[in-house]
Amino acid sequence: MKLHFNKEKFLDGLQQVQSVVGARSTVPVLSNALITVQKNGVFLMATDLDLAVRCPVEAQVLEEGATTLPAKRLFTIVRELAFSEVSMEVNDKNVATIESGGSHFKIHGLPETEFPRLPKLADAKSFTIEQKILRDALKKTAYAMSMDDGRFVLNAILLTIKEDKLTSVATDGRRLALSEYDLDLPKGTQGELLLPSKTVAEVQKLIKDKGMVTISFTENQVCFDMEGTQLYSKLVDGTYPNYRQVIPSETKERISLEREVFSQALHRASLLANEKNPIVRFEFTKNNLCITAHAPDVGESRERLAINYKGADISIGFNPHYVLDVMQNLENDEVFLELSDEMSPGVFKINAPFLYVIMPMRINTP
Amino acid sequence: MKDSSRWILHMDMDAFFAAVEQRDHLEYAGKPLIVGAPPDQRGIVSTCSYEARRFGVHSAMPSRTAGKLCPNGIFVPPDMDKYREESRLIMNILSDFSPAIEPLSIDEAFLDVTQVRSLLGEPLEIARRIKQRIREERRLTASIGVAPNKFLAKLASDLEKPDGLVVITEENKIAILAPLPASRLWGVGQVTQKNLAANGLKTIGDIQNASLHYLRAVLGNGADFLHKLAWGIDERELELSWAAKSVGSEHTFPKDTLDLSLVKQILLSQAGEVAGELRRKNVAARTVSLKLRYADFTTLTRQTTLAQPTQDEVTLYDQVLTLLSRENLRERKIRLIGLSASNLTQPNFQLDLFDQASNKRQQAAKAVDAIRSKLGHQSIQRLPD
Repeated sequence: MKLHFNKEKFLDGLQQVQSVVGARSTVPVLSNALITVQKNGVFLMATDLDLAVRCPVEAQVLEEGATTLPAKRLFTIVRELAFSEVSMEVNDKNVATIESGGSHFKIHGLPETEFPRLPKLADAKSFTIEQKILRDALKKTAYAMSMDDGRFVLNAILLTIKEDKLTSVATDGRRLALSEYDLDLPKGTQGELLLPSKTVAEVQKLIKDKGMVTISFTENQVCFDMEGTQLYSKLVDGTYPNYRQVIPSETKERISLEREVFSQALHRASLLANEKNPIVRFEFTKNNLCITAHAPDVGESRERLAINYKGADISIGFNPHYVLDVMQNLENDEVFLELSDEMSPGVFKINAPFLYVIMPMRINTP
Repeated sequence: MKDSSRWILHMDMDAFFAAVEQRDHLEYAGKPLIVGAPPDQRGIVSTCSYEARRFGVHSAMPSRTAGKLCPNGIFVPPDMDKYREESRLIMNILSDFSPAIEPLSIDEAFLDVTQVRSLLGEPLEIARRIKQRIREERRLTASIGVAPNKFLAKLASDLEKPDGLVVITEENKIAILAPLPASRLWGVGQVTQKNLAANGLKTIGDIQNASLHYLRAVLGNGADFLHKLAWGIDERELELSWAAKSVGSEHTFPKDTLDLSLVKQILLSQAGEVAGELRRKNVAARTVSLKLRYADFTTLTRQTTLAQPTQDEVTLYDQVLTLLSRENLRERKIRLIGLSASNLTQPNFQLDLFDQASNKRQQAAKAVDAIRSKLGHQSIQRLPD
């Protein structure tokens, strides 16, 4: 196997696959990237058995073949090379020789036969949408996934395709983000995909603002094909909770907030929230919002904001991180907060099909 | 008194539980009084009066042994609610003298009076006034140690008990420490003490005179800290936590047991007790610990930390059962079991979107507390599953 490639282009490809490589894999070949050199193109691939990424790289093929090389080491070597023109030759003992300018490296690989095969998605259903839609759907919801191992079904995003709509939902049981998009799909396309959090993170790295993505899926597997770069993943096997029932159907008050001003005030107030169990209190009174926090033995903070509010006085406690999370992942200048009372969930909305339900914290007064 | 950088008081109530009972029951005055389990049952002495101490009875001794040593002793069960209330009143007196209080237990506290000297006078004078107020307002006696640091203050309060008042200064500390046994140093238990003695270090003076090099060879890592203590140096600050550090409950079985359902039943009632105490103190816990003592007295503790703080007995019970299930309980009889909650924080609860039951349990717990405060703890109990 022999090829010439451009350093930057090869590095791009390696970057896409290397984050999948298991850091402490017990199977040595899983630390390697598979390099396949064929007449029709050169492909890189890495997998941790739950997830696989395969991408094409531009290169000049001199001799076909395949091998696996240590992904992180290869990445470091190529990154450090001084010249853009690089040649790689691999002998039948899987020893690769990399040359560029005056640099010469030999690294030991493992036979490609040891590398796991890509799964075949039998009887897969598939649909194609714009990458920017999927990108937006993941950005607006991913932060609400649970990081807690206790409820594994919540360590995932639920993507639902139904009735010409794509719905992305994530929740950790305390807050829930939902974003919805109108699609123009062939009749009868529907499905529910529970994407594991690691898969979500990898898709977010690969996905772009333009171009299309084809999503093929079976009962327990999915493939995202982003114009050549493919990501294969297992799906989470489990039943997602009935999230529709926790979205309040009506709330009493609707408050318009300037996102930037509001988040900055909240961020400042939360500097003095208790670190272990953070809570800030929001007090809405006529045309006024007061955000307060206090940490025993540390101190307290208060932020006052003039807002347009004519409703009943409400005092409600929230975990400030949950509120800041949603603010950071929206771009709209104006957000709306809908509230009923101090024990009922609050709902953040924007002028688009999106909502973020957040359970309050009960503030205990002796 | 020469000016020093810090002045710490250590107050220790004299035979606290017994003294409270003797004050409230004139018939116990001047008699050997033992607060704890009855002498014909298993369990231990929690406190005894000085009259009982003359017979060799002391805290943490099995009640049966106490009964043999002191056959005429009056045994009374502890009334923790009463002692807690008494403790609160005594701590209130302390807080009139300085805001910097570190309560160590129900009957012991450190008080930093460094900052209040210009207002209230010399530390010795402050200590005298504290003792006087406790005597007049609570009709109890306290021993107080006055010293430049925590270690010396605690040591001083113990030197002339009961009703003691001892001052240790920078000038006399070395001389006071030198003749005392090494076991008086903070952190020196039986094992370390034996190790020290085997290497010719019996008194604190021996440790003062030993080279740090030698001490390190004997003790390893702890040597530097111990050497400093021996020279009366202790830089620990008061821990001015806004609440107690933990809440717990322990139970010694009347007979060592292998009966898991009995163990669980006790844990369930302990969970209820601890949860109630957390709510009463208006704090929530993030760490749950299980303590197990086997018949051969080997003792182990296991703990787990929760993502969210809790005051909920069901959560405490579930966590402690999980800890229990990891132990091999088939062959070893259990003597004592305990549940404690620590890592305490403000009781602000994140409500859950899906687990409405836990939100409701919090409401129910409030109702249970209300009933118990009127009718007593036994009036309402959770049934085992």
